[in-house]
Amino acid sequence: MSEPAISIRNLTKVYPIPFKRERVVAVHDLSLSVEPGQVYGLLGPNGSGKSTTMKILLGLVSATSGTTRIFGRDSTRVESHEEVGYLPENPYFYKFLTAGETLRFYGRLCGMGGQALRDRVHELLAVVGLEDAEHRRLGGFSKGMLQRIGLAQALIQEPRLLVLDEPTAGVDPAGSRDIRDLILQFKARGITVLLCSHLLGQVQEVCDRVGILHKGRLVCEGELDKLVAIENQTQLIFENASPELLARFEAEAAACGARLVEKSKPHAPLERFFLEVTK
Amino acid sequence: MSDSPTTLSTPAAASLARHRAFSLVRIGALAANTLLDLIRQKVFYFLIVFALVLIGCSCFMDFIRPELQFQVIKDVSLGAMSIFTWLLSVLATAMLLPKDIEDRTLYTILAKPVPRFEYLLGKLCGVLLLLAVSTVIMGAMFSVVLFAKEQFVVAGLRHELGGNPAALAEALKGVYAGTFSSALVAGIIAIYLKAAIFAALTLFISTFASSYIFTVVISVAVYLIGHLVPMARDYCLSGGGGFVAKATVAVVALLFPDLQLFNLTDDIVAGNAIPLPIFLHTCGLGFLYIAVYTCVAYFTFAKKEL
Repeated sequence: MSEPAISIRNLTKVYPIPFKRERVVAVHDLSLSVEPGQVYGLLGPNGSGKSTTMKILLGLVSATSGTTRIFGRDSTRVESHEEVGYLPENPYFYKFLTAGETLRFYGRLCGMGGQALRDRVHELLAVVGLEDAEHRRLGGFSKGMLQRIGLAQALIQEPRLLVLDEPTAGVDPAGSRDIRDLILQFKARGITVLLCSHLLGQVQEVCDRVGILHKGRLVCEGELDKLVAIENQTQLIFENASPELLARFEAEAAACGARLVEKSKPHAPLERFFLEVTK
Repeated sequence: MSDSPTTLSTPAAASLARHRAFSLVRIGALAANTLLDLIRQKVFYFLIVFALVLIGCSCFMDFIRPELQFQVIKDVSLGAMSIFTWLLSVLATAMLLPKDIEDRTLYTILAKPVPRFEYLLGKLCGVLLLLAVSTVIMGAMFSVVLFAKEQFVVAGLRHELGGNPAALAEALKGVYAGTFSSALVAGIIAIYLKAAIFAALTLFISTFASSYIFTVVISVAVYLIGHLVPMARDYCLSGGGGFVAKATVAVVALLFPDLQLFNLTDDIVAGNAIPLPIFLHTCGLGFLYIAVYTCVAYFTFAKKEL
């Protein structure tokens, strides 16, 4: 059996408050596992411990107790980062560098160089739709473009695990949809994604499993379909059904003891509507 | 993004080198990136001010004796070089770490297989490269001005003493002795070392400082204390002060660099040679300070919660 992409065991993080005897428990006895190839959504309100968990996983913050492993390797070890690409929330990069220079810089940090790095930079710029901006400085980039270059730098060394913290924050709906499509593309290629987002609709579209953190504790975890499905209800959607046909269905259902909970016309998602009118 | 999305290539992990605990390539990438970023922030504009200082002090001294003119040019130029390189080292270094943390760029760098000491070393090397380039440019500008002044004075002497070869030779000997010498190079290297020490020190302060201003203020305070250390030490060694004063001076002398050791300008202006052992001692001490401050910076940064 293969090693989990992420394995967190009994993780606790306590922040002491300076000059006070009080302390803040940011994460309390958290255990979770993300299998390779999964898209895992880590959800929770502000201050629930999501970012702290991510930072501990990336070695940016030390754990008070517990262990974190990436593909079986202790994540506090720098070499485990070879497998990880990270996009923080609202990232800013060196604004005096161009998009190409930025990606080459991150590539060199990962031990890449030469033609392989140049090819990878061009490939990633095309993937995130910034091939025309290769020689433009990041100081003139919009927030969405910065997010895209952030995604490209996270992918530079072809990691097996992507950690994305609010990847669509500040991005317009079209860009947001593109990032969602990219996440699905990563999933198709077997890349594991740990996604932290407040956009629950988007999480629902791309995630296989979710974990919900609240006040530092994992209050709920499981496969998304099972978590959100209402077991005793069924949804049928008809096309071109006449009122008579619907009345017959309702009568039949009532005769069998079923209760009609809701009858309405389905709405096109606002995102789709927005994209159509702004196309 | 593109209408027809470009798909990612198949994994090419083979293109990645095996992780090394210490990599000069990563340090080089960080240093080059730091240097490029600082250069594009137009930090070299201060060289224009330096050039104006040089031109100013060389143009408005025709009323004093040539030997004195050379002394003044050297004194002002080396003093300006010392101040400018120090300022550059403090201001450029103080913002590196806080800015990377504020912009979360540090997260993306440390999320790559980059050890924290390599990050610090790369940043420091970038600033040291910037200081080296600045020092070389200022040294070159200074040399050009000094050479031009020398040629101007020589031309004047040839015109004035052309009929008396013996007197001319004697006068020229004095002029040449008062301009370029190996001591000048030693003095410029000492200026560079002092700025480099402050780059390492400022980097150390920024690992625990709460703000950019705090880092700059502490660095300036250390600069002032560093120049007062020898005075206080000499006072105590000559029998002045009580036990508390002596203990305080001992602690200060241990913690703060003795910056007067790097001030070779007075000797250079006076035309004295810098003995090789003293120069090597100064260099050795400079490297030691840099190494100590860098190590302390690493120990502070290694456990820093980001």
